[in-house]
Amino acid sequence: MVFRQLITLVASFVLASSAYPADQDKPHSMSSGWQKSLASRQISTGAIFDAQGTLWLAQVQDGHVWVSHSADQGLTFSTTVMVNPQAEAVAASGETRPKILLAKNGNIYVSWTQSLETPYAGNIRFSRSIDGGKSFSAPITVNNNLDPITHRFEAMGINKRGQIYLAWLDKRDAVQAKSKGEEYSGIAIYYAMSDDEGQIFHTNIKVADHTCECCRVAMAIDTTDTPVIVWRHIFGKNVRDHGLARLDGLPRSTKEAVPQRVTFENWQVEACPHHGPSLSISGGVYHLAWFNHGTERSGLFYAHSANAGKTFSTPLAVGDSAHQAGHAAVLSSGKNVYLAWKEFDGETTTIKTMYSKNAGDTWNAVKTVAETHDVSDHPQLIAGKEQVYLSWSTQQEGYRLIPLQENKP
Amino acid sequence: MKWLFAIVLLLGMYVAHATQQTQPLKHGSFKEIVTAHAGKPFIVALWSVSCTHCSVDLEIFKQLAEKYAEIDLVLISTDSPEQEETIQLLLAKYRLGPTEIKRKGKIESWVFADSYTERLHFEIDSQWYGELPRTYFYDASGKSSAVSGVLDAVNTEKWVLSQK
Repeated sequence: MVFRQLITLVASFVLASSAYPADQDKPHSMSSGWQKSLASRQISTGAIFDAQGTLWLAQVQDGHVWVSHSADQGLTFSTTVMVNPQAEAVAASGETRPKILLAKNGNIYVSWTQSLETPYAGNIRFSRSIDGGKSFSAPITVNNNLDPITHRFEAMGINKRGQIYLAWLDKRDAVQAKSKGEEYSGIAIYYAMSDDEGQIFHTNIKVADHTCECCRVAMAIDTTDTPVIVWRHIFGKNVRDHGLARLDGLPRSTKEAVPQRVTFENWQVEACPHHGPSLSISGGVYHLAWFNHGTERSGLFYAHSANAGKTFSTPLAVGDSAHQAGHAAVLSSGKNVYLAWKEFDGETTTIKTMYSKNAGDTWNAVKTVAETHDVSDHPQLIAGKEQVYLSWSTQQEGYRLIPLQENKP
Repeated sequence: MKWLFAIVLLLGMYVAHATQQTQPLKHGSFKEIVTAHAGKPFIVALWSVSCTHCSVDLEIFKQLAEKYAEIDLVLISTDSPEQEETIQLLLAKYRLGPTEIKRKGKIESWVFADSYTERLHFEIDSQWYGELPRTYFYDASGKSSAVSGVLDAVNTEKWVLSQK
């Protein structure tokens, strides 16, 4: 009797296991796995201080972006406010974090990348609060091409005039070229601007063709109130160095849509590096941190430019290349420049920082400011009223706001 | 009755193992992979279902696996175990699934199964920064050379021939 039961059991298990390959024909099985993976690691956080010194965070959980604030440097937080009422797959890991910006009039602007069912596909989403963070507007999609293709890795900036800029990587031209049977390396970079406090964004404008597909875009506002973006570009056939463009609104013909090349490591690779740059501008000086693995140089680098990116200082190697130094953040304020980056020594992930008082000409000693032993967000640097902080989210410790105390200007 | 539960549990584990054709790559797994292949040349291919360039390499491996029955292939996806279905779909498409081809050499599929991805990266290679695809060619003495980005089919075949 028992033996019979066993046979039945064995038979049902065998049947259950052989049923598996039959699922292969289902078109949706690919996307469901993709969606599931999005839910796994969502620690990436966007942070900013307002003029009163209150910290504001944008975080992601269960398909929603949540905004909270803290008046005591992250010791205690307000209740969180949901930004998007309808859950969606919000990208929040690695190179992608939700962005949060504050306008002078108290408006709060939030942007994120929504992942679609098709791999690599996404939409650039935007929402605002005009009541000090009590409620948020229904999210809008900023990309005006709505095909299920890449519109991802958005960067957001706001200038003194209150104009909001979003720049992102966009596959529409690559898709169009391929449908005509033409070659098209990489994808493109687009932007859109809102000059009515985020109610509507003007039409999408292409900045350049042939960008790398999977590295974050960096944006900073220059002294003339113009946003400047830097991203990993494909130069020539396959050299993945960095390009810079000013979003000055001037119309460009297709031929002119070629960025200014600002790094020259000559990384010839047909790969996704997942490692984008960081940019900060103050006192007319552009400060740039980036990673490259080229024939000229390899590792993490910093350089500055006093002529709006036409030429940069000799790249300074940053961090320990034997410890995977990478994912740097740069923040400048007047002549003070701060760098934070990630290292891993085989056991421990650390955030290292260094500081310059003279616009990046010389640097103090490297300091270790935080560590963890599991997955972590890339570091973000934010300026408070009196000092600069590391904003860092980790699986084990949660969110941490760490003052760079000895780096006080 | 207790022993019946035990058998059911064991069977469950067996079936889970048989269904989960991709093995979980955890802390220490990579060292074990290299040890298991010691004394024989093999290729380690790091890839992801979300990597736009990786399918080119999978096509190269498909042809290589068909042409050279003895070469061992270790395919490591940097996705997560939840993406097993997608991983298997893609491997089946390139005839790199575990039962696709009758051949002498092994084709193994692994997937990142440790949230601490920095440590997995480091254990594979302290000089690998996560770019994909990334491929390692291990010779019989255990020495390896690395290639970032899409492989060159001709050079890859040359390497296989040089290991004979």
